[in-house]
Amino acid sequence: MYRSVIISLFLLLISFSSYSHEMTPTYPKFKSSYMDGLLVTEMEIFNKRKDVDYYEIGVFDKDFEPIPFVSSYSVYKVDYLKKVSVEIYVRKKDESSITYICSRSKVLKQRVSNTSVTSTICSKVRRGK
Amino acid sequence: MKKLILISAAIMTASYALADAPITGSVQSRCVVTTDTPGVYGNPNAYTLTTDPSDGGVLPIVRFDVTLADAYYAQITYPTEFTSSPSLSDTVTWTGSTEVSAVSDATGMGSYETDKTTFGETSQYDLTATGSTWFKTSSEATMGGNKAFPGGSYSATVEAKCIAQ
Repeated sequence: MYRSVIISLFLLLISFSSYSHEMTPTYPKFKSSYMDGLLVTEMEIFNKRKDVDYYEIGVFDKDFEPIPFVSSYSVYKVDYLKKVSVEIYVRKKDESSITYICSRSKVLKQRVSNTSVTSTICSKVRRGK
Repeated sequence: MKKLILISAAIMTASYALADAPITGSVQSRCVVTTDTPGVYGNPNAYTLTTDPSDGGVLPIVRFDVTLADAYYAQITYPTEFTSSPSLSDTVTWTGSTEVSAVSDATGMGSYETDKTTFGETSQYDLTATGSTWFKTSSEATMGGNKAFPGGSYSATVEAKCIAQ
């Protein structure tokens, strides 16, 4: 009796297991960095997707055209249930056109199942003090 | 003397018992994209792969959780190519669609499906209420000239984007 209840609960847990992707803040702000002519902001990625270990960072204008930026990596390894802080540097002259900072899940080719889901989260840059 | 020691011990124990164990945290607005169900292609005939449950497929379901109203768009795009497949001898025609599967707040989210905008393969929803919304995406691939898909494994990717407004 107990055995079947435990097995049922286990199956229920498996069926409700899901995988998610988070990035904060939603409205980041760039501030002056210690380097002349460069601005910096910090983003945090939280990986709750068991099927994903890597996230790609991108900086875009309002039309989602890429804007040059510097970070330690463009693709970050974020282990399951871990958070990673990402410092993003951009040129001061690009400040007015920067609109979005996005993180996109990267699925390894050998891990792709029948239909997988690529998740992207885009934060919108707030300007001003 | 014994009494004094006992009282001192009691006071010391009490002071330990009152020690604080602080837990700090902060709440931020956020959008969380969750893969609730990965999809599966069914193969009702030699030249069609489909996620339609009536043809043996499984619809992929993605959940968006938002903690701030009127702050995010959900964009979901059905696939237009295989991410992996055997070598194909002809072009593949892709069709698909996305619709709201379930909502956590029927009043605030009831109009999501009627208010959605579609451009190309992408459906965009304005997430005007806080809570969770489940979206299901159908996908169908048909081999040109009704030729048979060669044996092997096929995979494709649904793109789910949450964009801050």
